[in-house]
Amino acid sequence: MLNLPLYDLPTRSASGFIIRYVLPRTLPPQLIGPSDRRQPFQVLTIGDVIIGVGHGDAAEFCGHNDQVILDIHSIPDVKGKVVVLISCQTARELGPALIDAGASSYIGFKEDLVWVMDSDLASSPWSDALGATVMIPITNCVNTVMDGKTTGKAFSVLIEGLSRNAEVEEDELIRSCILFNKQNAVLLGDDRATIRARLPLALPFKMVPPPPLLPIF
Amino acid sequence: MATEEYQRLQEALKRAPTAEARKEAAEAMRRYNAARLAKGHGSKPTLVSLGYKKTYPTAIPVDKIPEELERNPAFFEHMRDIVEADG
Repeated sequence: MLNLPLYDLPTRSASGFIIRYVLPRTLPPQLIGPSDRRQPFQVLTIGDVIIGVGHGDAAEFCGHNDQVILDIHSIPDVKGKVVVLISCQTARELGPALIDAGASSYIGFKEDLVWVMDSDLASSPWSDALGATVMIPITNCVNTVMDGKTTGKAFSVLIEGLSRNAEVEEDELIRSCILFNKQNAVLLGDDRATIRARLPLALPFKMVPPPPLLPIF
Repeated sequence: MATEEYQRLQEALKRAPTAEARKEAAEAMRRYNAARLAKGHGSKPTLVSLGYKKTYPTAIPVDKIPEELERNPAFFEHMRDIVEADG
């Protein structure tokens, strides 16, 4: 399941990269924009992975317009699932609670997930080179999971990607954000957990960019 | 290697978030922004986070950071956590 809210700059930037580089090769359920709400999230428990973008804190994870769709007191059926939450602080309480509820593995962050984005590119966030410094390593991590590799491998893809980008980044604030996220990335549960791999991408197939997103209302 | 302007910002953010320290950090951030602009960063960079129920904005244009630093002790501490990562 993909959860991709789009209602403000941070959700739009993070969801934008997933829409561009992950979404075209996934199967439903995909809760995008206003459909990312509590009820469908709690009911649609099919599949072996949950990839969520959204605002969050230690115990809660939000969907569209900050509606709490997942918290430590109402965890849906996550038995055997791999959960990746692209959000803030969920590794403190929600991540461990997901593992306790039977999730096989969790990847998230124990502090705020911060990055610098170009707000001039809010309608095509996937083309934002500033945001890419943090979001491409996260996207690569998600794609590694989707390709059926272990979560341990996916986590190392995330950490190595952030390290590489920090090394070559000249802007100090952007570099600090990259390093901050790297310090706070967390993998919980079984690092050998995998999901069923999606179909391989047949060459010379190439994913084209999606149309621009609608403006933020 | 951090530039002189960024090192000054890191130093300014090490103090407790008193009004005087926040003012000094804001000034250091202004100087860093001026140096950044001089390097030709011409887009609209915005510092964002996926925090929930925060007492500081989750999206703030980089050129507005000095005002928020001066005004908001929680944002001062948030910025300190970030810049310390590149210690």
